[in-house]
Amino acid sequence: MTQTQQIRVSGFGGQGVVLAGLLLGQAGAIDGKYVSGSNSYGAQARGSGCKSEIVLSESPVDFPHLIGVDILIAMSQGAYDLYHGEVREDSGLILYDQDLVVPKESLKVKQIGIPATHLAIKRLKNKQVANIVFLGALIEMTRIVSPKALQKAISMHVTERFRPLNLKAFKLGIDVGREIHG
Amino acid sequence: MPLKSLQSSFLKGTFYLSGNEASAEGAIAAGCRFYAGYPITPSSELMERMAFRLREVGGVFIQMEDEIASICAVIGASWAGAKAMTATSGPGFSLMQEAIGYAAFTETPCVIVDVQRAGPCTGQATRVGSGDMMQVKWGSHGDYQIIAFSPWSSQEMYDFTIKAFNLSEKYRVPAFVMADEAVGHLRETVRIPEKIEIWNRKKQKGIPPFGTEEADGVPPMPSFGEGERLLVTGSTHDALGYRKTDDPEVHSKLVQRINLKILNHRKEIVETEEYFLEDAEVAILSYGFTARSSLYAVKGLRKEGRRVGMMRLKTIWPFPDEKVSELGKKVRKILVPEMNLGQVAGEVKKYVTCEVISFNQTNGEIIRPEKIKEELRKIL
Amino acid sequence: MVRALEKYIRPGIKTTPFCPGCGHGILMGLILRAIDELQMDMKKMLFVSGIGCAAWIPSPHYNGDTLHTLHGRALAFATGAKLFNPELCVMVISGDGDLSSIGGNHLIHAARRNLDLKVICANNMIYGMTGGQVASTTPKGTKTSTTDEGNPYPPFDLCRLVKAAGATYVARYSVTQPVALVRAIKRILLREGFSFIEVLSPCPTQYGRRNRLDRPEDLIRDLIRRCVTEEEAEGMTDEELAEKIITGEFLA
Ligand SMILES: Cc1ncc(C[n+]2csc(CCOP(=O)(O)OP(=O)(O)O)c2C)c(N)n1
Ligand SMILES: [Mg+2]
Repeated sequence: MTQTQQIRVSGFGGQGVVLAGLLLGQAGAIDGKYVSGSNSYGAQARGSGCKSEIVLSESPVDFPHLIGVDILIAMSQGAYDLYHGEVREDSGLILYDQDLVVPKESLKVKQIGIPATHLAIKRLKNKQVANIVFLGALIEMTRIVSPKALQKAISMHVTERFRPLNLKAFKLGIDVGREIHG
Repeated sequence: MPLKSLQSSFLKGTFYLSGNEASAEGAIAAGCRFYAGYPITPSSELMERMAFRLREVGGVFIQMEDEIASICAVIGASWAGAKAMTATSGPGFSLMQEAIGYAAFTETPCVIVDVQRAGPCTGQATRVGSGDMMQVKWGSHGDYQIIAFSPWSSQEMYDFTIKAFNLSEKYRVPAFVMADEAVGHLRETVRIPEKIEIWNRKKQKGIPPFGTEEADGVPPMPSFGEGERLLVTGSTHDALGYRKTDDPEVHSKLVQRINLKILNHRKEIVETEEYFLEDAEVAILSYGFTARSSLYAVKGLRKEGRRVGMMRLKTIWPFPDEKVSELGKKVRKILVPEMNLGQVAGEVKKYVTCEVISFNQTNGEIIRPEKIKEELRKIL
Repeated sequence: MVRALEKYIRPGIKTTPFCPGCGHGILMGLILRAIDELQMDMKKMLFVSGIGCAAWIPSPHYNGDTLHTLHGRALAFATGAKLFNPELCVMVISGDGDLSSIGGNHLIHAARRNLDLKVICANNMIYGMTGGQVASTTPKGTKTSTTDEGNPYPPFDLCRLVKAAGATYVARYSVTQPVALVRAIKRILLREGFSFIEVLSPCPTQYGRRNRLDRPEDLIRDLIRRCVTEEEAEGMTDEELAEKIITGEFLA
């Protein structure tokens, strides 16, 4: 399973779950990986159980949805409760929003709290970019895609008006990741 | 949104595209310069992308008042010389059927992408299904043939849209990309090669546009405004286009020809793909998104040493009868998993004598690999 | 038809398919007269029609490009052809049932877009081809094969409908007013934008027969008696107007 990474970004509608998945997938494609991405659609995408799933692989992807979860980003308690059970034991990783999610203690999975929403509000005055802070932290800690590719993905998919803000949020996330990773 | 910055008429390189977006890019690359459509989930992204891509490449885009108008405008544009297309989903596809028959009978090239959702009726508008596999063949009245593909990835949404245009032009027949919601919304890496093979309709002045010497020929097709004084009608017509609605021979010859021109060229049109069939005892026959699950299941069982293989139908119509019949001779059983109640399984049964097991799921969800594995285990 | 117009007819065509007394044949000639007076290039003309007797006016008879389509859909086909090749002079000729009932939605939307289409609606106030059933244009009280006690519903005023929808030229004439009608057809051939002419065309076989207007000349006389200009109409009482048909250019 080192060849293939299965990632689920989750939260409630409006938190930028779909955009985070899109950017991650786009960055993987820029890095030359095979990528399959899918996400909640229609009313779900605006509701509470919003998710975006990415398969990153060095070879063509047979089944394009998730079979198991290697990495879970949980931006809300609801999403965490719904999905934490699917994360692979031992090798799996959960990043959750430190101020919005109370994690379970008994899991055999590495779990890391990220103050994404808090920092997005405090440092960037916009909680809308918490998703990008998450991406920065994730990429700094795991390098599943290159930071450069993600920056390029932001320039492709985020309108000019919000691009500087998103790039700042990404940088902030990288700093958070570095601190945690130490 | 993703490609606003790109201005080239056709993209080269690697892209991260949804199936719907990839199909639109395939259309542009194939030379499509006319799109008429009407919004419907889950196909609308295709129309939205065509709206701005056609503006970039100097083509024509129009959102019509309904799907009937859309397909009719596409046929009108095709006769005016355009490579033209529309995309829709179940309810819109139903509305288009009469005009699809018109396109088949007047031998009008055009491409229709059906991003299938869970029917019947309005059904589950945002959810996946593949209940239009028979409708695409039999939806309009009378005997006619069409060409239909079943893509399983964003890459094939791109490739098959080009193929659909090429074959549509070559055989003067409506061609279909029978996608489903899961493929339409799946976002994947799409590799676009440096060179793409493009076919255009044959033009020849002064040659009858609706008849050939051969019983299965494809006549050349002039366009309006070229001085050919074209006579196009959906009524039975002779080689020049004159209505001959009381002539049994003209009618029978014409109906025969529009069928034979496709059926006699099955070998050139039909494509299938085989996996692990050399020593297989049981085979899966699969198409569309479901084939992704099927392949994953088959690979899993192979790792356990089970003798299972798979045939994937890339072309659905004309039906790959010979390939399927050969498969039936090779294996003991064929499992056909489908997001409908056995539409293609029924067709498979026509061509094989071995046991055919139809596995159906019509709940608006994809058939996951674990389920297929379970079904396979039952019959291995 | 006069010899001078023969060059506008496809070679080999000797007769029309219309019944004795049908107005469609008159209209067929008047359109060609307008085309001839303007010396239009038939090689750049596309005639689109739907299904019905009226749809046979251009197809196969006119010696340009002709597209005989589906019932009600002529305007949608025409929209595609015109948009892709704006050089074409696209004229849509079809029946009242075709354009305003089954094709009614296409009619108002085509008018709204104001695309350069020249539409001639041959209105015989009935479904001619299918045997005289009531249409969306059949006057209230008229007997038809599906309203043997008289049509209980009022008809569309097609000109008002199309004008309200956004057309930029709207006129109504009867085939009994050939001079004014040819003038109107010439005008729409020369102008740009969505142009609509409703042409009243008698149908003795399906309409006249059931309404005590059996002989062809009865319906012709009836039309002559009932068609009035806007000016003539101004001085009339409501009672007098009730059975009149106002003709003229309503938007030019
Ligand atoms: C979808 C469809 N429904 C019904 C018909 C049958 N049909 C043929 S012509 C016609 C009526 C045509 O009436 P109109 O347009 O007024 O032309 P007319 O014959 O009166 O000139 C009908 C209903 C058809 N061809 N297609
Ligand atoms: Mg009529």
